[in-house]
Amino acid sequence: MSINFKQIEEKLKSEATKLLEEGKVGVVLAYGKGYDENHPLPFVARKASDVENIVFNEYCTANMARYIVRYPRGTKIAIAVKAADSRAVIQLIQEDKVKREDLVILGIPAYGMKNAKTGEVVDSKTTCGMYNPVIYDTLLGEEVHGQSVVSPYDVLAEYEAMDKEARWAFWKKELDKCIRCYACRKACPMCYCDPCFIDQNKPKWGEKSPESHGNLMYHLTRFHHLAGRCIDCGECSRACPVDIPLYLFHKKVAKDCEEMFGQAAGMSIEDKPALVNFRVEDSDKILE
Amino acid sequence: MDFEPKILGIACNWCTYTGADLAGTTRLQYPQNLRVVRVMCSSRINPSFIFRAFQLGADGVLVGGCHPGDCHYNTGNLYARRRLAVTRKILEFAGIEPGRFRVEWISASEGNKFAEVVTEFTEQVRNLGPQTKFKIEQLPTPEKI
Repeated sequence: MSINFKQIEEKLKSEATKLLEEGKVGVVLAYGKGYDENHPLPFVARKASDVENIVFNEYCTANMARYIVRYPRGTKIAIAVKAADSRAVIQLIQEDKVKREDLVILGIPAYGMKNAKTGEVVDSKTTCGMYNPVIYDTLLGEEVHGQSVVSPYDVLAEYEAMDKEARWAFWKKELDKCIRCYACRKACPMCYCDPCFIDQNKPKWGEKSPESHGNLMYHLTRFHHLAGRCIDCGECSRACPVDIPLYLFHKKVAKDCEEMFGQAAGMSIEDKPALVNFRVEDSDKILE
Repeated sequence: MDFEPKILGIACNWCTYTGADLAGTTRLQYPQNLRVVRVMCSSRINPSFIFRAFQLGADGVLVGGCHPGDCHYNTGNLYARRRLAVTRKILEFAGIEPGRFRVEWISASEGNKFAEVVTEFTEQVRNLGPQTKFKIEQLPTPEKI
């Protein structure tokens, strides 16, 4: 059994046409033609005639939830989501960035997506490893069953077992590569602060030029800001032009938050993000 | 070799800072390595303060707050507890010794606990040695012509 991408594309197109013609939504966030087959781009359809440009294939890995926050509140938005993207949508609803009734969620069950840069299959190694959207109004295609379920945190074991010095050497090497293009921030559905802390001058939190200590400050604080909110779509590391494995750190923080606070990001609309919530019975052991 | 650690203490105004005051007025001895910064609540502490302190040369960071349930603002330290727990995990995964960062709940009447914690923590950081991983290497200032 494999995913029929052509069929999903047709369904996506017909659904988008229907929604736009009936005037139920103002914009449809989906994927459009890029300069070739392997590089589809994020695409916004505003009228029914735009719909013919929509494509969906195995390279459509971008997280379209990124674009929800760009529209004013109250805009009716239809959005095509895969599994991780639907968690991002839930997380944005939790953070009151968008209202559930303003969204029409077109769920796409998919696996075997490919990273356009490397050609590798995107799986639980770099993402949350889920196949079916958590939340949707219309499901385009069949729900995926029978695929092996691998824990998204398995990949961490190797790094957790490392010696502290080795881990520091590893992160120093990786973060020193950073050229501060902020592609990770641009690709992330949860990075919507304006201005970002690193762009502020008063106080100046860190160096803005690509230097070792500025890179460390930017990335560590970004990991902290995404603690309990990162939905593990892995888009930051796919967007990174110098291939920093940012997903590893995000996974580690997500895993710790899940262990400490008993809640994974973006699984239910009723939850509150872990760090803007507390329980009186939280143990002091988490600080040891 | 006598290494004197630099320790940043961030203390909550209502409990730990008053506790430090009490330690002073009751003439308790504790090491001078601690530089105390007063904040209104432990939840005022932005995690970036801690990263920045390590970058600017702190060898250890000690955060003091009210006991959970005793917060002057009712819930501040309960948020801080979760947040600082994540900070700790991040420092640990980045490769900093977790012994360099500590959160303690010290109430206004616990002057002797404050002195004990500071003595113990200073000793712990002294044993870990200078913190060099995060510290920004100061470039020599160019000579004036």
